[in-house]
Amino acid sequence: MEQRRKERIDRGVKVRSDSIYALMSWRELSYLTVPRLLLIIGMLILPLVVTSMYWQRVISIVCIYALLALSFDFLAHYTGLVSLGGAFFIGVGGYLTAIFNTTFGLPPLVSIPLATVFGAIICTVLLLPCLPLRGVYFAIVTLMYPLVFARIIEAMDILGGTDGIMGIDSFSNRWIEQYLVIIVVLLLLFGLRRLVNLDLGLIFRAVKDNDQAVRASGMSITNYKALAVLIASGMGCLGGACIVHIYMWTGLSLFALDFSILPIAATVIGGAGTLVGPVLGCLILVPISELLREFGTLRIVFYSIILVGFIVFRSEGIMVYGQRKYHQFERWIKV
Amino acid sequence: MLEATNLMVFYENMLALNNVSISCRKNQIVGIFGANSAGKSTLMYTLSGIMEDIRKKEQMAGGERITVLGKINYLDQDITGIKPSQRARIGIVLCPERRRIFTESNVLENLRIGAYLATRAQAKETLEYIFRVFPALEKLKTRLGGFLSGGEQQMLAIGRALMAQPKILLLDEPLMGLSPLIQTILVRAIKEIRDETGISIIVTEQYARPVLPIVDYAFILENGAAVMEGTRDELLDNPDVRAAYFGV
Repeated sequence: MEQRRKERIDRGVKVRSDSIYALMSWRELSYLTVPRLLLIIGMLILPLVVTSMYWQRVISIVCIYALLALSFDFLAHYTGLVSLGGAFFIGVGGYLTAIFNTTFGLPPLVSIPLATVFGAIICTVLLLPCLPLRGVYFAIVTLMYPLVFARIIEAMDILGGTDGIMGIDSFSNRWIEQYLVIIVVLLLLFGLRRLVNLDLGLIFRAVKDNDQAVRASGMSITNYKALAVLIASGMGCLGGACIVHIYMWTGLSLFALDFSILPIAATVIGGAGTLVGPVLGCLILVPISELLREFGTLRIVFYSIILVGFIVFRSEGIMVYGQRKYHQFERWIKV
Repeated sequence: MLEATNLMVFYENMLALNNVSISCRKNQIVGIFGANSAGKSTLMYTLSGIMEDIRKKEQMAGGERITVLGKINYLDQDITGIKPSQRARIGIVLCPERRRIFTESNVLENLRIGAYLATRAQAKETLEYIFRVFPALEKLKTRLGGFLSGGEQQMLAIGRALMAQPKILLLDEPLMGLSPLIQTILVRAIKEIRDETGISIIVTEQYARPVLPIVDYAFILENGAAVMEGTRDELLDNPDVRAAYFGV
């Protein structure tokens, strides 16, 4: 009886580009650069292709969600902290930039970086007590903070109360608004990819895998977790600051649960732990969510069906699947 | 009783088991010896069906593709592709490597979980039997699994496997990391279990000497292939085998 089995092998050019970098021709160089350039150029020309103001706004929102999804993916799959704090980061960043802008009169291009830095510090300090927690406990705590903040603002009627803060400056030019978020997403995406392969990234991953072993190697895992949270919450706050200046308004809806949940869905669809995947996931999910708006409440039904379908049939995620198809080929061989 | 023919297991393109054929007759203790990465655990996973589970999980996660070829016959029945839970139901029970006891349940609970497939009367009887074979466990009834010593954990793991009413028991490295004294106690207990209950036992080990006195038949795995097989005396006659696995 002849038995056959499907063999999966790395493409030759992948092997060469992996370790020894023996790339001989433009064609082989393009093997590495084309997928990256495709993403970069694709993102950059997107606002030019899409002409309607409405869809250009959607692209900005995609980028905000992409920032959140990146920060979720980084925290969850490289540091082992499952964070539901997207809304928390967005809210803190949003309110901070609103304060900087209205109270101190700083222009957006100053208030956004300030809100990012101070927001990240505030979020990290607030999350510091629950850093020793792992898994679902950390998730619950990060989920509670946005609720707490929203209720405090509502009950004490501070920071504009339920009306929110209005009259925030917008960007001087709508192209600046478009390209600022897109470039920020691309920079952070490639920056994070670099970071997780540095020594620091190695430590993050080690903390995720076995925190006791990291402790035994003489490193304080709390410090490294705090650093990871600082990076991730900074990204979230940056997103929050941008969204406030885009809408010229800040309010309690910044603490909405959407900001916590959608990035996770995007990460699942795009491929967990790939960092590019979550961005792609947002590029798919957010526009779908907008398209389905016509269906009214049925939107959630279609949306859920798409999600369930992805999880059941492609739970590895688009990016993991795509990378495998790109780097490897299959053939039948005799055993 | 259990007969595996031409088993081949690939982890992606790596050949973990190469044309391995083993068999275990009724009421026999079969030893499988080999170094690390020889394929002992893979063989145990394949026989017990856990491999099907691992394969499915890897497939869902888009990880390594595992290919299992070959045939496993059990009591004149082809069980090649069936699920691990089904195999446990018909009497193939694995006591996994590194014990894998439930650390947050106490000893009694651990044993009760194992008795899911047993009737109430069987469970009661087996429980008493386990406490007779491993008297150490009886005193520790309410201790949490995670707080047991290595030897006690291993006794518990074997006990838990016994509670599932196996007809054939697969012990994956039961002596791993234990002191020589505990090893002899366990080996004696394994023989006792075979003699008194008539269960067939397949036991894997890296270092064959402690278990050698009780095995009836043994296979030696090397790099995924069964390079030698025979009764205890036949293997002991071979100088290479003696030096490599028996340390004599």
